[in-house]
Amino acid sequence: MQDQISRAEATGTSGSAIVHEDLTSRWFMLSSVAYFFIVGIIALIIAGKYVWPDFMGTSSWLTYGRLRPLHVNGMLFGWLLAADMGLTFYIVPRLCGVKLWSEKLGVATGILWNVIVLSAVVTLMAGMNKGLEYAELVTPISVLVVVAWLMFAANIFMTIAGRKYQAMYVTIWYFMGCILWTAFVYLTGNFATLVTSGVNQANLHWMYIHNAVGLIFTPIGLGIAYYFIPRSSNTPLHSHKLSMIGFWALAFVYVWTGAHHMLHGPISQWLQSIAIAFSVMLVIPVWAVVYNLIRTMKGQWHQLRDSVPLKFLMSGVVFYLLTCFQGPMHSLRTVNAIVSKTDWIPGHAHMAVLGAFSFFAIAGTYYTAPRIFGKPLFSQALANWSYWMIMIGGLGMFTTLWLGGFWQGWQWNNVAIPFIDTVVALQPVWLMRFLSGVMIFSGIVMFAYNVMATALGPIPEPASRA
Amino acid sequence: MERKVDTSALWAVIASLVLFFIGGILTTVAPPLIDHSWSKPFKNADPAKGITGELRPLNAQQAAGRLIYLREGCRYCHTQQIRTILADTKRYGWKGVDAPISTPDEFVYDQPHVFGTKRTGPDLARIGGKYDTQWHRTHFRNPRNLVKGSIMPPFPWIVADPVELAQLTAYLQTLGRDKNWRPANDYEK
Repeated sequence: MQDQISRAEATGTSGSAIVHEDLTSRWFMLSSVAYFFIVGIIALIIAGKYVWPDFMGTSSWLTYGRLRPLHVNGMLFGWLLAADMGLTFYIVPRLCGVKLWSEKLGVATGILWNVIVLSAVVTLMAGMNKGLEYAELVTPISVLVVVAWLMFAANIFMTIAGRKYQAMYVTIWYFMGCILWTAFVYLTGNFATLVTSGVNQANLHWMYIHNAVGLIFTPIGLGIAYYFIPRSSNTPLHSHKLSMIGFWALAFVYVWTGAHHMLHGPISQWLQSIAIAFSVMLVIPVWAVVYNLIRTMKGQWHQLRDSVPLKFLMSGVVFYLLTCFQGPMHSLRTVNAIVSKTDWIPGHAHMAVLGAFSFFAIAGTYYTAPRIFGKPLFSQALANWSYWMIMIGGLGMFTTLWLGGFWQGWQWNNVAIPFIDTVVALQPVWLMRFLSGVMIFSGIVMFAYNVMATALGPIPEPASRA
Repeated sequence: MERKVDTSALWAVIASLVLFFIGGILTTVAPPLIDHSWSKPFKNADPAKGITGELRPLNAQQAAGRLIYLREGCRYCHTQQIRTILADTKRYGWKGVDAPISTPDEFVYDQPHVFGTKRTGPDLARIGGKYDTQWHRTHFRNPRNLVKGSIMPPFPWIVADPVELAQLTAYLQTLGRDKNWRPANDYEK
């Protein structure tokens, strides 16, 4: 089982049987990288608005309340999910030892995805939204998302159904899980919420928000990490059995935890307690995955020095461990009473989505870009710089928001302090967050430029294919 | 069986959906059937049973104001829930009266809900009746004219439209007033 990943890849590169076209992967990679850059600008603007609240403040299209959903949706769906889908289109045919079922359908999915993201930009800035966090996109766009997802699902499942190897590597498990769960999670958050109201709706909505991360970005991101860590380091995965434990525990445990976002809030206490219990259980799948991936690198850590994808991958694993330790911890009522609703939470959320899952996606993009474009990476040095800028900027942002948020929570719990004083006190934190954001953004610019220059650069001599 | 799990895609699909739906159904479909306070609007006329009041649906003007609240993304910085935390009831009280804790039966008509996730600004669950229309107009034009150090964005396009301003203000004045928690302390009195 452990050598399966090598067998599959060997078939792909031997040139005897299969030549992967990777047209779909290219579409998704280039558009996701472009959105990473564009939405990065939005991110900087809204971070700046915390420090200079009148900055771009007089135009309704550029007000904080409209740019923030654009930042969140743009990063989640325009960048991260698109990048992850592109990598899925790259990985699955190789692990199955066959060509992608339909490149035509794949390219059509990529075009539709761009239509979705661009219409999301216009509608959100015009103030048109469903009013539900993470599910802001108006219903017609949500319907298009469902269509695109079905097209994606059909392509991937048909490829898997025609696979050459009977046994499936763990990455395929995670991708299949992601596709299936996402379908139901997305329908719950975007459609079931339309016919409910009040606490009932909030409960469905929280199930969606929590599992947008837990059952969409987590499984697809872990599938990517499970593929690229052994691949980049030329090392077999430590344990297939452990990877299965992690997968099945995730499948069972994650969906129960939505109500932990309403702790102390107007929702049944027993439901809060259930959510807390299952939140603590999340450490089982997380630690199984992290131990497996860390053990895979045993004796191979020196490779991090020269490999940018491995740097991103293993830092992502560490951030994944940290963010998934924070999660269960702030599900405890006592901790929650301090950190909930504070700036700690964006620090936590950014470590999950940027620190863990975007790191995996960036690593995968750096690894696959030379392969799908048939050219060496434009610049290894620039790639290394992009890692350090995003890493240091990210750490700066996470840590200042945690410290600031914790402090803010203590101040809120002291009713002698007027609310506005707790706002003024956070100003240095928000300035640091903005400056960290500038660093992260400069890393994103380097990353995007590097990938674009690789894609658009001249075709090298035939012998130099990476 | 373990071999089967490893090699059959169909088996994998079925198993991962079954595991998902156990938790999915028990935490989303079951709770509203068990806890009826989620769907029964708040109503109490007997002071002996606790705080009195009645939850009323929004009128047309207030509902339009709520849409403005959604359009401008107010919910990204303002929560609407007094939690079971002492500091919440004290901080969001008014003139020495503690704010009552928010209960599910106060939100039955909320579509979509605006409980919110982040308090960049203060909670608004009990804001209704605290500030008058003139205060809100000045505050929306530029919050820093009234609250030094505030980082709330200005909303000149709402202030410039008397209809929208009246709608949004009307909505804000409804918040938290279905419970009669400080009848003698309104700005109106």
